[in-house]
Amino acid sequence: MARVGVFVCYCGANIADFIDVPAVVEEAKKIKEVKISVLYKYMCSDPGQGMIRDAIVQNRLTSVVVAACSPRMHEKTFRKALSDAGMNPYMLEVANIREHSSWVHQKDKKAATEKANDLIRMAIAKSIANEQLHEISVPVTKRALVIGGGIAGIQAALDIADARIPVTLVEKSPSIGGRMAQLDETFPTLDCSQCILTPKMVDVASHPYIELIPYSEVIELDGYVGNYKAKIKKKASYVDFSSCTGCGACTQKCPVKVPNEFNMNIDKRKAIYTPFPQAVPNKPVIDATHCTMLLKGKCGICAKVCEKGSINFKMVDEVIEREVGAVVIATGYDLWDPKPYEEYGVGRYKDIITSLEFERMVSASGPTNGVPIRPSDGKVPKNVVFIKCIGSRDEAKGIEYCSKICCMYTAKHAILLHHKVHDSHAYIFYMDIRAAGKGYEEFVKRAQVETAATYLRGRVSKIYKKGDKLMVRGEDAQIGQVVEVEADLVVLATAVIAPKDNPSLARLLGVSYDKYGYMSEAHPKLRPVETAKAGIFLAGCTQAPKDIPDTVAQASACAAKVCGLFAGDTLKKDPMVSTINNEFCSGCQNCVKVCPYQAIVTEEIPLGHGSKELRTVAKINEGVCQGCGSCVAICRSMAINLAGFTDPQIINEIVAI
Amino acid sequence: MDHSKQIQDIASKLFAENKIDYFVGYRQNAIDDSQVPYLISDPAEIPRLVFTDRSVFNLANYLKPEHTRRKRVGLVVKGCDSRALNLMLTESQVKRENVYIIGICCEGVLNEKGEKAQNCIECVMPDAVVYDEMIGTPTGKREYIVNADIKELATIALEKRADYFEDIFSNCIRCNACRHSCPLCYCAKCCIDQETSTLYHGANTSSGAMHALMTWSLHLAGRCVDCRNCEKACPSHLPLHLLHKQNESVIYENFQQHLAGMEKDDRGAFYKYSLSDPDDFIL
Repeated sequence: MARVGVFVCYCGANIADFIDVPAVVEEAKKIKEVKISVLYKYMCSDPGQGMIRDAIVQNRLTSVVVAACSPRMHEKTFRKALSDAGMNPYMLEVANIREHSSWVHQKDKKAATEKANDLIRMAIAKSIANEQLHEISVPVTKRALVIGGGIAGIQAALDIADARIPVTLVEKSPSIGGRMAQLDETFPTLDCSQCILTPKMVDVASHPYIELIPYSEVIELDGYVGNYKAKIKKKASYVDFSSCTGCGACTQKCPVKVPNEFNMNIDKRKAIYTPFPQAVPNKPVIDATHCTMLLKGKCGICAKVCEKGSINFKMVDEVIEREVGAVVIATGYDLWDPKPYEEYGVGRYKDIITSLEFERMVSASGPTNGVPIRPSDGKVPKNVVFIKCIGSRDEAKGIEYCSKICCMYTAKHAILLHHKVHDSHAYIFYMDIRAAGKGYEEFVKRAQVETAATYLRGRVSKIYKKGDKLMVRGEDAQIGQVVEVEADLVVLATAVIAPKDNPSLARLLGVSYDKYGYMSEAHPKLRPVETAKAGIFLAGCTQAPKDIPDTVAQASACAAKVCGLFAGDTLKKDPMVSTINNEFCSGCQNCVKVCPYQAIVTEEIPLGHGSKELRTVAKINEGVCQGCGSCVAICRSMAINLAGFTDPQIINEIVAI
Repeated sequence: MDHSKQIQDIASKLFAENKIDYFVGYRQNAIDDSQVPYLISDPAEIPRLVFTDRSVFNLANYLKPEHTRRKRVGLVVKGCDSRALNLMLTESQVKRENVYIIGICCEGVLNEKGEKAQNCIECVMPDAVVYDEMIGTPTGKREYIVNADIKELATIALEKRADYFEDIFSNCIRCNACRHSCPLCYCAKCCIDQETSTLYHGANTSSGAMHALMTWSLHLAGRCVDCRNCEKACPSHLPLHLLHKQNESVIYENFQQHLAGMEKDDRGAFYKYSLSDPDDFIL
């Protein structure tokens, strides 16, 4: 005879305010298997768990029902309480009377109480049919896959590799470095971005535990935590990296010039190119969309000048496989296209540029050798207007969120402008100044005081051309007047957005993403690094806009998570997996087809006892099975059962209501 | 339609070349002009093989028993039978190399009254879709016609439909002949018979029969090929096609005009998922 204990939680006021908790406790007592039914303010607290432990021993309970919050929240906590009291932890059932009742039925206490009663009755009935289950151990492949070679991916890869765990770093473009490589100096200390980044890039290339795969993309990920199998497509670079010395003769001689995306298309690069001088690996690739040899079969100059014979026009995309135990997503960000700001004349006036274009101009290694110029006539600008929140915090034209970094980099731009052009003046139109961070407010003050940048609080309504100047008309809300500023150059602080490939990558990896295309974390506060899929972690702007310190911190956090995951030789796994009853299996293999995890294979078993003839039946790989139950539903012969959700358990639940 | 001679020739050839262990065809019934399935292993019995418009049964069903399952079998299939066979092949019940399929381009078979059978009038695919050898001239796929009885069923109010079916199926004696006659009911042990199962109730009552038949029809939804072997086998003459044709028409309408067993490796509408699948109906 089952002996069930029912433990009802107030959850402070969360449950008790909307559900008549004492009545619920009394109701549970009416069920004959229930030997004890009690309530407590916070069941998850140590005294609360103590109540459960004591009751298990004193009442010789066979199963436990906790009526509280979602099992996602505290199932593990209560399972531990059970095992501490010597009971199999899987004899626990959680009745979710918070998310499923009190929170959603706040206006009707009576109905909420009734629903709570039903939920508890179901949990009691199910727990009576619970069976003792035991955790499954699965082996771990101790190799991490890092997707994206920006500062987030670099930091994560280095930290993981420093723990002597092999890392495969996959980068889409020909070189690692990402957005940070494009920056000139970094706030709030104005240290040179390249100077602090390139040593790390070199470390990645030379680290014995890092395998760098540039110019490639992840196209498939199968498996499960600890045992993922990734397919990586190496795009054809038409250059044999093993023999190429990176001498640069080919890029010099190449006659095809195309806009240079690394320099925000301000200057030109060749069809065979290294993105920037400090690129890692410092080997060129051929841009197949522009190379005349690949397009028309004429030219081949690069092949002629290459002393090593490294150019191979017949190279094709190659798909390689890597077995990894964990994945870090670090795909970075894109910038919002300000085209919708038609009233500013975006696209019509050449002297309106974006912040990253400005950043490339002031970079010493940039297309203008560190001198900002007007794209229209090449003159050095004197009056520069910076406009913040272009696309950010703009529900009408852009996105709702704050891009977080624009306030700071605009202050930095004002300072850099002053450094490069001493007699210049910066005007900054802003909505707020968001400078929360170590040394950030001081940095903004520095822009305001030291460089005497004029901060104008208000939105710009119009930009029009007057002679060769741009007239910026906006509001100065602090004096309540319309102001007009005569500008040589206008710089738009465009919003940070998720890379457009993020949703397709998220689907491929099986993680969730939000409406903006950012990857979703498992919990916004307590699990900000993990995704909901075990073994896949997030670093940097792939999750939300972040500055460099936050990105690096999160990347190191990812590394800590990966190291934690790989600390043992095996991983513990919930035993909620499917089992096949061979006697009933007819071998139709529908389960093989519907399994989303490729956890089901077939095996040949003797037709009868001692028979030499064989028949085919399905077989579950319990290490791979995630307990989704698809196979259970599809099986016509009811040969499959899911541990923890067996037919008797489900039927009991249904009968109970 | 009389292909008896051709089938006898093929059967002789197959036995002579030692390509098969068994041959499944039809023979004349001794007492009337109907035919019965005929499973032979001895070439001497070949002259008794016939095929006419009285060859009504779905012989794919004879690949189910243990004694033919792993043997090499020669088999005569009409259009509908071949679709069932196709599903059996897809669902790994039969190995393709173990069967020699004689496909018929069927002109329709007769019912007990000697009229053309209803399912043959509404037949979408009279030619065999899978075969090693074809007899007759293919006429190709025909347009899907919604069964007349289903149109009538639609006129019965939803809330009265359960009573309607319960009334019809109250004559069921739970003999399971429908199950045994269906080539696609090949499970090692039917879910309804499992002692450990608490899901189904096996009582020989009208509600027990309803439950069993509804479950059965859902397990055949998207798979039933409308051969009506079950109806022919039913001693209580239940209109079992009502269940199957209802499912078929809903699936045809909602899942890109899906018809069971038309293509190899097609497991049926319930076994594939696409983002464009409608989710606004229930069977």
